[in-house]
This record gives sequence, structure tokens and C-alpha cells, in this order.
Amino acid sequence: MTKFATSVKKVDNEDKCKGAALFVDDIKMDNMLYAKSIRATIACGEIKSIKLPKLPEGYYFIDKDDIKKENVVNIIYSDWPIFCTGHVNYYGEPIGLLVGENRGKLEELAKQIEITYKEETPIFDYSKSYIHKEYTKGDYASAKKRAVKVIKESFESGYQEQAYLEPQGMLVYPDPKIKDKLICTGSMQCPFYIKRAVMRSTGLGEDKVRVIQPAVGGAFGGKEHYPSLTGSQLAAAVIKTHRPVKMVFDREEDIKFSTKRHPSRTDLEALIDKDNHIIGLKAKIHLNGGAYRGCSGVVLSRALIALTNAYTIDNLDVVGDAYMTNTVPTAAFRGFGSPQTIFAMEMFIHHIAKDLGVDALELRKKHLVKQGDVTANSGHFHDPIILPEIIEKAISMSGYDKKIKEYSKPGCNKGIGMSLFLHGCGFTGSGESDLIKAKVKLIKDEKDHVYVYASSVDMGQGNKTTLKRIVSKNLGVRDDQVTFDNPDTDMIPDSGPTAASRTIIIVGFLMEKAAKNLKKIWKKGVRQEIVEPYVGPTYIKWDEDTMQGDAYPSYSWGANVVEVSYDPTTYQISIDGVWSVYDCGRVVDERIAFGQADGGIVQGLGYGYLENEVTDEIGRFRQKNLSDYIIPTAKDMPHLETAFIDNPFVYGADGAKGLGELTLVGGAPAVALAIENAIGKKVNKIPATPEYIMELVTNGKD
Amino acid sequence: MVKKCIATSLNEALLFLKDGEVTIVSGGTDVMVQRRNVAGELPLHDKNVLYLKNVKELYYIKEDGDGLHIGAETSMSDIIADKRVPKILRECLEEIASVNIRNSATLAGNIANASPAGDSIVIDNLLDAKLKLSSVRGSRFVDAKDFVIGVRKTILEKDELIEEIVFPRRDYNHLYWKKVGSRKADSIAKLSFAAAYKLNKNKIEKMRIVFGSVSIKPAQNKSLEDEFIGLSVDELKAKIPYFVDSYRQVISPIDDQRSTKKYREIVAMNLLREFLENIK
Repeated sequence: MTKFATSVKKVDNEDKCKGAALFVDDIKMDNMLYAKSIRATIACGEIKSIKLPKLPEGYYFIDKDDIKKENVVNIIYSDWPIFCTGHVNYYGEPIGLLVGENRGKLEELAKQIEITYKEETPIFDYSKSYIHKEYTKGDYASAKKRAVKVIKESFESGYQEQAYLEPQGMLVYPDPKIKDKLICTGSMQCPFYIKRAVMRSTGLGEDKVRVIQPAVGGAFGGKEHYPSLTGSQLAAAVIKTHRPVKMVFDREEDIKFSTKRHPSRTDLEALIDKDNHIIGLKAKIHLNGGAYRGCSGVVLSRALIALTNAYTIDNLDVVGDAYMTNTVPTAAFRGFGSPQTIFAMEMFIHHIAKDLGVDALELRKKHLVKQGDVTANSGHFHDPIILPEIIEKAISMSGYDKKIKEYSKPGCNKGIGMSLFLHGCGFTGSGESDLIKAKVKLIKDEKDHVYVYASSVDMGQGNKTTLKRIVSKNLGVRDDQVTFDNPDTDMIPDSGPTAASRTIIIVGFLMEKAAKNLKKIWKKGVRQEIVEPYVGPTYIKWDEDTMQGDAYPSYSWGANVVEVSYDPTTYQISIDGVWSVYDCGRVVDERIAFGQADGGIVQGLGYGYLENEVTDEIGRFRQKNLSDYIIPTAKDMPHLETAFIDNPFVYGADGAKGLGELTLVGGAPAVALAIENAIGKKVNKIPATPEYIMELVTNGKD
Repeated sequence: MVKKCIATSLNEALLFLKDGEVTIVSGGTDVMVQRRNVAGELPLHDKNVLYLKNVKELYYIKEDGDGLHIGAETSMSDIIADKRVPKILRECLEEIASVNIRNSATLAGNIANASPAGDSIVIDNLLDAKLKLSSVRGSRFVDAKDFVIGVRKTILEKDELIEEIVFPRRDYNHLYWKKVGSRKADSIAKLSFAAAYKLNKNKIEKMRIVFGSVSIKPAQNKSLEDEFIGLSVDELKAKIPYFVDSYRQVISPIDDQRSTKKYREIVAMNLLREFLENIK
């Protein structure tokens, strides 16, 4: 068992508890204007005319014509306009901003804007692919000849809303000292993404855009790219008005128009040989990317790579498409494509076991990934894998083995499910070494106080505490001798985005090296500076075009066991027990790790059985607030039991690997499997709501 | 510009109500959401506003020969904490929203809000509650079940307010309440079901059955309730399919963002069937 790293008080606790932490909505500036988005009210069509009311003095309308350079949000694909180009592609697409001093007045003026359209028929199904990816492993066609049985099934998953506490918000203002320089501050994950987006849309140089992070109240991927959109919009407004301009969404605007998790459908076909071994898997993965590609290609990539999950299957034929639909673009969300396919795979392998009449756990154990195995993408699992230990621990904590037999008896209305899963840490393939090229900086002043400079945003997950601890520990100094202020792009090197479970494994690893190097040259009372560039494992090679090679520098692993009871009168599910075991290399701070574990599993469970978001006939979200979009409350969750098992990674800080996303990806399959066990019917869709369970109980497959 | 009155006495409140249309704020947990404006701006009240929070004489729970009286401004939390209040009402209120909302919300407000998804109205109907409606013209008592007449529509006259809710004493053998929400707390009902019966010498003497959130107002049918009277337990059980079929016609659920017509109908009937089967 792991020896836990002790916990220290989170550095942001006190300010947040006292209400002293400043979020973007708390920042007021002299002469500040507010912005309100004017949005399209059709799903698809041309704008014929826009008629503005007479705007009072000090009120402005900002649209595509006010973008100085490029009307495009700087994400991976350059197809998402900052302001509508004239052709509307989703309901709610921003056409312009109304800007002025009084928010009530803005609401009034907004109502007087008349926009006419020439409507076209929108697309809402998986019919128009705009990104295609595929890979193979082994020889699926010849494996099919050897197969004695072929099993086919489809799995679907819905939208998921990040539901961060603090909605989207951004404030852009002219630098009071430097002419033509813009400063952006707002709720964000990736300061340099915003900086580059604003540079691209305004044409301003590197030295003319500065991004400063205020306190951030949660993000979960939802603030990875969206702030690049709002930042670019507001930058145009500031250039026109020469005044600070702020835009903060209320909850409803945030839910209705900000990015969410991709809905999906995964069609699977498994080849079974005479020994009940899965010798092949064919998959077609569909992701609903919404109106613009944005980062959907990378999400699709991760969805495809994660497909075989914790299992080794020799012959694969995997294709995937992201589809254009006339809906709000989908983008990053904790898990980034993998929760969809891991759900499909976990359910499918259980359904295969049921169809073959074999024990599902035994079937899974026979296919478990081992160190040295060839990955789905023909790379290798280089590092030690402790899945058998993880499973054993999960069973001893939960009593899974006994309960699954007991609950499989009809009429007991209880169920238990266990998911196994992996999560690739950091950016895909050699992206960390070749694309991001992260750097961190440590500065020691004359008083021997050390300042940490990195672009990692603490949005509540605790990296202001953990990264600081890594530095102080490796320097051998007191915690209060080290300061880690919120990132400011004028001060810090680019250590990459706060995403992809990369903060501890990549940035933390850099901090460790930087601290060790500073310690070597430490001279008392002298200002010293260390810049540390990332050097990753050289054996990691990846070809994104063919999707061949090592998809990630390393993997974290886990198991979630969920126990439920089922009410046959109302088809409702109650969660009675949750047990989790994780291998995240080594834990840096015990309490913060438990925070990630508890939050992640709850978000994963919500995705699996509660969080229902659907669109109407013009692509609008029907659940527009947190009374109708249902996330779990404390009362919906039992006591959560979590264990960590050490499995240190050579290229991680003190052996640590990624943890943030790992804790989410297994939640949905675990609860779906428990529901399946309780009702005796196959679950093929999440969220498994009572309405869906009712359908299964009456018409579902055994 | 709307006028506002933060009344400190019932008399002052009634006088303010006397002329013109008024929005009454009693707890405000619904009305302030309905009239919300963008952050930082005043609420969008379109009528004069009467705040009852400071009318201390409307904070009470007392018993007398007529039953239990709950003053209109008593918060849900205070009602839940008072053991004299029928247990089923306390259980129902405890499932409404969250602690912070219940600390401010009132039973009178929940009734007057007249939402089809309002929880407490179902129990008020079940318990034959009466509402005391007062104005400068005087007071009148109406049955809770006749108070709501449509979505956000009630029989409250422009110059009236709910002064108190009266729960007459009842001697049911068994009372049952089930809210089918989307989660265990802070949830708006997909549907709810409340029922009560009195059994005397193996014969049904009294029956109440009310469905919530499956019609524009709580669904109840007096003539069907009367059909139970005089039935023995065995006779009743034999007629369960008949009652389920009949009650299916009483409700008129819809598809919305919280659930489906089909789910609401099937679960409502499952709950009715289960309740009737458990009578002994």
C-alpha cells in the first residue's frame, strides 16, 4: 500500500473562504463598459439584415467588421468565427456585442435589434463528417476468418455540461502605461491560448497582449478554448471604445451557449475465437462536434486511442468521424473523448461475456494489458502495469465478487458494477516534446525567497499548492519561502495549457528538475534564476496522420466499483457505495488527491445516470439551468472510499502521473454496469435515466 | 416606477393591497427568480410590490378546536421543526429545494405561486387544508383544492392575501407521500403522489388520492374517492385494475425538459397500484 504524502493547507483556502479571492466579476475599473452578446435565433441560414436601434452616446455595436485582422478563434482548426460571418451555423451563434455602461440599458437595446434571416434546413444527425481518423492493428480481415462468433452492438452517450461554479467571464482593458497594448483577465485554463487568440484576431504583436489570471472557480475543460472566443470578442470592443470592457455570463447564458462534452455513438463488432478469446474489434465512432471543428479532431483522436481501454486486442479496425451539426460547438471536457469510448468498451466486454456465458471479470482478466504489450496504436506499454493489484484491492474494499453473484438473482433490486480504465497523461504522442515544449522558471531573490513562474492555472484543483510543494521539497526550504502567484504572461514562460492531466506529470516534473538545479548552484543572498525546458522520454514516437506509435508518454490506471439499489416502482437508482483504486504514480498531496478523486467520480457518475442534456427542433438546449440539468448533490452520493497504489513513473515529479481526468472516466461505466446488474437488462446508453430504465425494463435485452 | 411597501403589520399590508395590482413577496424564492434582471440591476417588477417579511403577526403555528393554523410568513424550516405539524407535511417540505431556500420560503408562497410542479399543494389538498384569504373587505375561508385554477392562476382577488393555512384534524390510518424527483435534494418533482385512507371494521371509511405535477394543478377526483367508501379490503383489491384505469383518465401529464409524458403516467399508476395493494 501507498504511504501517503501528507497534506498542507491549500494556499488559496483562506482567501476563498473569506470571500477575499478576486474573480473576474469582482473586478471593477474606472470607465468600464459591459458587453452583451447578440445571438442568432435560427440554427442555420443567411443573415439578410441587421437593424440596430439608435444607440445612445457611449453605446456601441461590435461585429465582424470590427475584427482588425482575422475573424477566427485560434483553436486547432481555424473554422470557428469570432463573430458570425453572415451565415449562421447554430442557434445562439454570436453576431455581435452590444457594449455600454449600463447593463439594464443593454438588455433594453438588445430587444430592439431586428435581424432577418433566410433560413436553411439544419443538420442534427451523424450525416456530415468534417473530420475523419482511422487506424488498424494486426489484420482484422484474416482474424474474421478464424472467428467462430461475431458480436455487434451500439452505444450512445449524451452531452455533458461542465457546471463549474463560476460561469464564463472575461475583462479586457487598455494597458494604462503602454500604448496599443491590451490586457485580458478572466476565468481561464490556458493564459497563452488567449494571448495567441487575441494576437491573431487583432494583429497585435507578442509584446502588445498580456493575459493575467484572476481567481478561477472551476473549469473542467470548459475554459480551455471558450475564453479565446470571448477574449477575442472583447479585444475588438476595447480597440473600438478605448475603454475596459467586461462580459460575464449568467448561468443560463453559460449553459445555453458554451461548449460541452461531445455526444457520441460507438458501433462495435467483436470477433471471438473457439477459446472465447476476443481476437478482433472493429469500431466506428461518431462524435457530434457541433457547428465548428474547433478542437474536435483531438477529442476524436483520444476517443479512438482509448477504445480498447485496459485490454489488449490483437486485431483492430478503428474509424471515427466528427460530424458537423447545427448546434453549439462541443469541445474539451475532463476525459476529452475517452469517457465515451471507455463507456462503450466496458459495457461491450460485459455484454460479450453474457452472450458467451462466461464470467465477465474472468474474460476481462484474460485480456488485461500487461507491461510490454503492443498498444491499440502499435506502440508499447513501456512502464509497469499493476492492474491485477488494482482489481484485487477494489474487490477487497467493495466485496464485489460476492455481491455480483448475490445481486444477479432476480428480484433483489440491487446491483454492483466495476469499471477498469486507463488514462493517457499529457498531450498525445510526442506533443509535449515537439509542440508544447514547456518551460518553467524559478527566480530566487536576494532574500533567498523563491518565485515560481509557470502558466499552470489553479482553478480549484490545487496546483498552486502542489507545484509549490514540489519546489520547496526539492530545494529543502520551508513552504513559506516559496511563492507561486497567478500566471501573468508578461512574467512567465509558457509551460503549456492547464489541461490533459499534464500539470503534475509535465510541469511538476519540470519544477522538480528546476528546483534540483537551483539547489546545486544556490548562493545565499544572491539573485538567481533557472529556466528549465521539458525533455521527455526519447522513446516516445507518434505519427498523428497514421495514428501509429506511442499515443502518450505514460498511463494512469484505475478501477471504480459502484453499488446501487433500484426502485421498480419509479425506475429510480440510488447509489449506495462507491469504491475507487487508482495508480497515479505517486500522490503529491493526500488531501488534494482525494479532492480530485471525489470530484472526478461524482462527475463521472453524474454523466452515467443523471446529467441529461438534449436539444430541441432548432438545436437549442432544453435543460438551461441547474434545476433542470441535474448534477449530483451530496445527498445523492454515499461515502466515497478511495485508495491509491504507488507505481512511480521515472519522468514524473517524485514519480507522479496524471490524476485529474483518470478519476472521471470510469464513473459512467461503473454505474451503468451496476444498473444493468440490478435490472437484468443491457444498458447501451448514458445517462441511464429512470425514463430510459423504464424502457429497458419493458423492452430491453437480457 | 413601481411602488413598494415593506409592511410591518397585516393592516398596513391589506391597505397597500387595496388599490391596483400587486406582486406579493412571501419568502421570495420563486418570485425573485421570476423577476430577475441581469446581474447588478434591480429586479424587473412590473407591478407594485408588497413585502411581507416584516409582518411579525403572520409568523405563527398554533392549535385550536379547528385544527392547526400556520401563519403565512412562517418559513418552511420553522414548519418542519414543529412537531405539531402533520408528519407528512413536514416530510414533503423537507424534500423541497435546499435548506437555504426553505429558511426563506413559505408554505403560503408555495401555494400562491400555483406552479404545476408545486409540492406542498398536493399535501394541502390531501389533508383538506383551508386557506384564510384576507382583504380590507374582510376574510373568507376556501378549500386548498379549489384555490389553484390554472398554471400560476388562483382565485385570489387583487386585494387579497393568504393570511393563514388551516389543517383540520384528521384520523387516517395511513398516509403516504412520494415525490419522484430527478435527484435526492434540490429537485423539482417529475411527479408526486399522496394518498390517505381510514379503515373502520375492515371497510374503507375515507379515501384521499392526489397526484402532483401531472396536470396544471394537483389531480384529485372526489367521485372516485367516494367510490372507495364502504369497500372491504378484499373488494378494494379486486377493483385495483378498475381504479388504476379510472385514475389514468384523471391525470394529463406532458413531455418537458424534466421527464416524459409516458414516464409520468406509468410511474403515477405504479405508485397508485402499489399504495392500494399495500392497504391492510
